[in-house]
Amino acid sequence: MFRFGLGKYRTIIISITLFLVFDVGVLAMTFLISRQIASDAVSLNLAGQQRTLVQQLTKTALLLEQDATQGIIDSSGNSSFSELKELIGTADLFNATLEAFHQGGRMVDGRGRVELTPQDDIQAAAQFKLLEEMWVPINVELQKIKSLKSNAKPDLGPLLLVLVADNLNLLTVSNMLTSRMESLSAAKATNLRIVQIAGITLALINFGFILYYFLRQLRTSDHAVERAQKETEDILRTTQEGLFLLDTDFRMGMQTSHALSKILGMSDLAGRDFLALLKPIVTPKTFDTAKEYIELLLRHDVKEKLVASLNPLDCIEVSSPQPNGAIESRFLNIRFNRVFDAGRVTHLLVTATDITRRVRLERELKESERKVQDQMGMMVHILQADPSLLQEFLRNAIKGLDQINEELRTGTATTGMSAKRIDMLFRISHRLKGDANALKLEAVAQSLHAFENLLDGLRANPVLRNEDFLPVTVRVKGLYAEIHAIQDALTRVAQVRGVVTVEPPKPVQDPAIAALPFVQQWRSFAQEIAQRHEKEAELSYQGLDLAKLAQPLRDAINSIVNQFIRNAMAHGVELPGERKQRGKPAAGRISVYVSDAGDGFLELSFRDDGAGIDPEKIRVAAVRTGRLDATAAKLADMRKLISMIFEPGVSTREVVDEDAGRGVGLDAVKDMVTRMGGRVRIGTTVGEYCHFRVQLPLGAAAENANNMTDVNREAA
Amino acid sequence: MTFKLMIVDDSNIIRGKISRTLTQHRMEIVATAANGEDAIKQFSANQPDVVTMDLTMPRMDGLECIRKLRRMKPDLRILVVSALADKATAIQALKEGAQGFLCKPFSEDDLTDAMDELLGETHG
Repeated sequence: MFRFGLGKYRTIIISITLFLVFDVGVLAMTFLISRQIASDAVSLNLAGQQRTLVQQLTKTALLLEQDATQGIIDSSGNSSFSELKELIGTADLFNATLEAFHQGGRMVDGRGRVELTPQDDIQAAAQFKLLEEMWVPINVELQKIKSLKSNAKPDLGPLLLVLVADNLNLLTVSNMLTSRMESLSAAKATNLRIVQIAGITLALINFGFILYYFLRQLRTSDHAVERAQKETEDILRTTQEGLFLLDTDFRMGMQTSHALSKILGMSDLAGRDFLALLKPIVTPKTFDTAKEYIELLLRHDVKEKLVASLNPLDCIEVSSPQPNGAIESRFLNIRFNRVFDAGRVTHLLVTATDITRRVRLERELKESERKVQDQMGMMVHILQADPSLLQEFLRNAIKGLDQINEELRTGTATTGMSAKRIDMLFRISHRLKGDANALKLEAVAQSLHAFENLLDGLRANPVLRNEDFLPVTVRVKGLYAEIHAIQDALTRVAQVRGVVTVEPPKPVQDPAIAALPFVQQWRSFAQEIAQRHEKEAELSYQGLDLAKLAQPLRDAINSIVNQFIRNAMAHGVELPGERKQRGKPAAGRISVYVSDAGDGFLELSFRDDGAGIDPEKIRVAAVRTGRLDATAAKLADMRKLISMIFEPGVSTREVVDEDAGRGVGLDAVKDMVTRMGGRVRIGTTVGEYCHFRVQLPLGAAAENANNMTDVNREAA
Repeated sequence: MTFKLMIVDDSNIIRGKISRTLTQHRMEIVATAANGEDAIKQFSANQPDVVTMDLTMPRMDGLECIRKLRRMKPDLRILVVSALADKATAIQALKEGAQGFLCKPFSEDDLTDAMDELLGETHG
């Protein structure tokens, strides 16, 4: 059914209707008034005719009278018959006109039959009535003459008497009536002009309104359209996604987002066949599936949400050439959403996104997860492996990698590397891979296998350039990292379990760091105290160069390490004979490690492989020095007892010498660390090791370090 | 309104999971079938409104079964429940007349959401 809603066109339609109403009104009024004017013109004409008739009657009567006087008329009156006939005709016409004026009707004037309407003007009616009254006596006489037989001689005397008497009056009244009719007609003509002017003016005003309103609407609409276009353009220019519409013939729309060309690596995309564009960048199978999928969305009754997971273009890899000639591989996500019009799918909105970064991150995450799993597996194997074999493998691995590194450094500088040298690298790698497999270090074995593949590729290449060795160098660095990671893992395992034997007996040291003055000083200090107590000591250091730290922090670490060395050599490290009995090397091993923990703290790790801290000795010492009574000491747990070594006056040594016995050194260390905002932790296993871990804030105040100046001299 | 459902899947575990989940979701399980042939027989006897359909099954596969069921009841609602190993086959199933696809493995929420979507009762 047809429904007519004015909607936004309501005002314009009303305005146009008014315009037409005004025009039709003016036309109708013009027609009506002009008809009246035409009627008035007839009346005016007849009124003038009545005046003429009066004169004509008088003239005819006078002629008849003259004929009679001159004897022109015979006894039958035949000689004057025509004049008499004219007299009666004139009278009949006058009567008929009067009747027409009085009641309206048809009437014959000089131009033929005309229509007369009854005269409703009061003044004209009064004048007409006067005319009628003046006509009555004349008409009576005329009717007498008219009623005579044709051969009878008319007596014109009475007629002439009234005609002469009223002739002038009749003329005057007729003139007045004519004038009145003229003025009435003129008034109507004026009215007609007013109506026309008013009507046309209203129509023009209305037209002006229509024009104004229409133009304003047009302008508003234009603005809205321009703004919408601008917004669309802004969106298409700014969005990072490739957007376009796809019609049912798989043709791309004329508007596409600016990012689309960059994402697809193609230009001039508007209006192109999407399938033709897709075909060269995906596999034939993906292309066929994509075509089916798009057809499915366009032409079949399926639920869009329920088929999204079937989109074969949700992650496609495309390759495109770069300005530098290289081929760049990227990952794209192209998804489709239906666009409906009146319940029918008219287009698909296609959104293309470059998801390369996301895909790579996901892959890195997976790789990272794999590595974590590998490391977990490696930790298990480390725990199960023979420690000495493991250490030997690590030493050999570092040595082998050093060899490979040296070859790469010297061989590729100028002359490149010969096939013979590559073979040598291959052999080193292969040997290490065999060892790694034997120890079930699968991750390392796989890395070495990948390294061999790289070398294999180089061997097949007759002409080798320096840059061909770049991946080899990168892979060697990766292998170094893996070996160091195992060493770290070993250290952590040792810390957790307190198993000293799995720790590297001689940690690999950077010769440059070993030669640093502060390391030399610690080593010398350890040797000096060792000699004093008839012991042996080996100190190794890894980590930061203290010279690069702020003076207060450097001084603090130096003082703390010196105190720990003193403590280790005086208390922890056993005499060489005792150590041998326990299966340890004769020389006590001290490992020092300083690192930036990355959280604003510096971490100092100090570990010796001596006898550790015996809580029973501390229990005795605490009672001896009065720190605890016998009951409290009996109840104290191991944690409490070990923490007491940081309390003043507690020493397990009964004899005081220059290195121990006063119970001052560790108390001073703890005091200083606390005041600097740091903390000290201790781990120990009786008979195996003692490990201090000190954390100091990197911005520690200088003044606190100065409090340690005398610590060494007053060491417990 | 309760819909009559037929579950077609060669896995007893999957049939059980769909059955348990959708029984609590305004569905009356009127039939289950482990292959296409059985599904055709069960369909004639039970006249379900909705079918969940696996694609890879013995004797008669899901594609053939969908084709036949659509001929028997053109307004039948079919949800393909299958692994995503072969997207082309799944798309073919949708072209044959299924209206939705749910990828295995799926959660209970995945299944009820998919069923609501299939029956035109989406939430949020």
